[in-house]
Amino acid sequence: MKNIYKFFIIFFLLNSFNIKSQILKNLSSSFQSNSAYYLDDSKTGDFNFDNRFRSNNYLNLKTYSDKNWNFELQIESYSPKALLNYSPNFEEVGISTFNVQYNKKKLNIQLGNFYEQFGSGMILRSWEDKDLGINNSVRGMNAKYRINDKINITTIIGDQKKGFKYSKGYIIGFDSEFDASDILKSDSTFLLGLSYVGRNDNITKSESYKKMTNLFSGRIDYSSNSFYTNIELIHKTKDAIKIFGGLSNTFIKEGSALLYNAGIFKNGFGLDFTFRRLENMSVYSKRVAFGNLYNESIINYLPALTKQHDYSLTNLYVYAAQPNVSFQSKNLTKVGETGFQTDIYYFIKEDTFLGGEYGTNLAFNWSLWNNLDGEFDYFNQKYETDLFGFGKKYFSEISFEIRKKWSKKFDNILLFVNQFYNKKLIEETLGEIKSNILVLESTYKINQNKSLRLELQHLTTEDDTKNWSAIGLEYNISSAVSIYISDLYNYQNPDIVEKIHYYNLGGSYSKGINRYTINYGRQRGGLVCTGGICRYVPESTGFNFTITTSFF
Amino acid sequence: MKLNFIILSTFLFFISINLQSQDKIPNVTLKTLEGKSINSKSTFNKNGLTIYSFWATWCIPCINELDAINKDFDKWKSETNVKLVAVSTDDARTKRRVRPLVNGKKWKFEILTDENQDFMRALNINAMPHTIGSKGSKIIYRKIGYKPGEENDLYEIILKNSSKNN
Repeated sequence: MKNIYKFFIIFFLLNSFNIKSQILKNLSSSFQSNSAYYLDDSKTGDFNFDNRFRSNNYLNLKTYSDKNWNFELQIESYSPKALLNYSPNFEEVGISTFNVQYNKKKLNIQLGNFYEQFGSGMILRSWEDKDLGINNSVRGMNAKYRINDKINITTIIGDQKKGFKYSKGYIIGFDSEFDASDILKSDSTFLLGLSYVGRNDNITKSESYKKMTNLFSGRIDYSSNSFYTNIELIHKTKDAIKIFGGLSNTFIKEGSALLYNAGIFKNGFGLDFTFRRLENMSVYSKRVAFGNLYNESIINYLPALTKQHDYSLTNLYVYAAQPNVSFQSKNLTKVGETGFQTDIYYFIKEDTFLGGEYGTNLAFNWSLWNNLDGEFDYFNQKYETDLFGFGKKYFSEISFEIRKKWSKKFDNILLFVNQFYNKKLIEETLGEIKSNILVLESTYKINQNKSLRLELQHLTTEDDTKNWSAIGLEYNISSAVSIYISDLYNYQNPDIVEKIHYYNLGGSYSKGINRYTINYGRQRGGLVCTGGICRYVPESTGFNFTITTSFF
Repeated sequence: MKLNFIILSTFLFFISINLQSQDKIPNVTLKTLEGKSINSKSTFNKNGLTIYSFWATWCIPCINELDAINKDFDKWKSETNVKLVAVSTDDARTKRRVRPLVNGKKWKFEILTDENQDFMRALNINAMPHTIGSKGSKIIYRKIGYKPGEENDLYEIILKNSSKNN
């Protein structure tokens, strides 16, 4: 209840100002509401929790004037309760973001909650993703200074948000980026970066390791008209490893990360290659948060580097990055991941034999991720790794996509995916899955504002729960209204009870910046991944409603 | 707990009737495809129209919209002098696909990146695709979503506000 008073005070302060004042004149706001009403279902099971109706609401207010001072306030309500799968730390109503910014020429200072990223985020990233329930902003001070448009310097200090609470320790960070393009005397860009992040965890106390864990990183970025390459290296000082649910006093290791990326692109052809090696690299604002289900207290961003798919069946067996040490049994020892992904894009020109009237887009992706290779001593909790060795395979995927516009009215997307998913190692359960997936998407434009989109998908596998099929049909009735129906069906599941049609139907109405959606259907349980971050969700059936709007 | 909900709704209602528009492009640092920092204040057409289109390599409707605009963009530009900035919100997971994808598609507009979504956040954008139109630095148009054919509606708006027509 305290929080309610807090925001009332702010509300009255806002209103007590002269309405014509600068603040209100430049105030912008947005509102998002995601609600659900859960139902009992003879197939997916009864709803066994409190509160069938649940609602997450986000109201954001901010000013962006030309003046030096600005502020941002975000109030969230999870009332009567947060949607299923959201952390229980999101409770009732509270202030999730409040900050004041001061801008003067090259100086920018933020006090309060801020979002920040150093380099690619492997050393530090605080961000918000409402769909995933992630908001790991840091509360404290963020100061940036820019020198001659060539050097950017950022320093941060603060504690980290978790639900409406904050971490007990603090995070301190420093980032610098130098634009050294001038020394090349060409059009190329040459950037150098150095960062430091320190994590002070005040909760865990031990003689064996320090409160403070330090991370150091360096990065180089080169880019010319048709070629780019970059490398980023991170070293993490000794940190305790969580084993069998507790922090070990003897199993204490350093961590490291190496990311290398290069690409060329020219005349419709593009190639990109990324190699990454992670060893014991997760960092949480408190050590005991390691591996939590809700992705809370994460300090750095280590997404899976695989093709991000949009179709339900290509997202059944999704790889999640494996940056950690996990000794579960003699045959299940992980210390990180190493692997690569490569993308090739090609555009076949218009008015050629294969290109046709509108040209054709081709995309190819190959990714391979393995455990690190080395000596693992399960009984004594020790390991030594090889720098470039590849251990047991976690995941591999080859995909090929063709996008083709046949006429003004008709276009197709054809996607083929071959996957290997080592469920035993990734999810620490049992099984390996080899699968082939085929997707065909067709869009037919009926007239200016009406169109039909049909999605057909099939997954073939001898493993796990065998074959799946999926179908989806979307009808855009006007520029404002759209309706859809879809079904996902594990038709070869050996367990007859598990043969469930995961159907969904719904619609959306959007006008300008307002958007409303409604959905009725079944949510498949299991690992659901967006943006390279995955979490487990239970099966459920019910109605979902969302409202998105901004007042500007 | 219903009380909280009522309080929040009331709060929202009062704020919304009190509000005037946020009519300026905010001051945020974006990056070019090469990784150089650029201030959002230097991204718009000083006296003319600018369209900001927020997209990501994994957002199919976003790409469909930009493809559709790209087809007619030469005409748009010669008739109205409009500038289009496609702001990629891809983060570390997918940002490496931006350059090869843009090259493959031969998009004719400026591409900037907003990796930690600072610009998106400053403009209060919750979902993509999201289109913003500005005249100078003043925001005059906003829209969420894209359905085939809607690029024509956008062009109507551009024509209506273009200085060449006035």
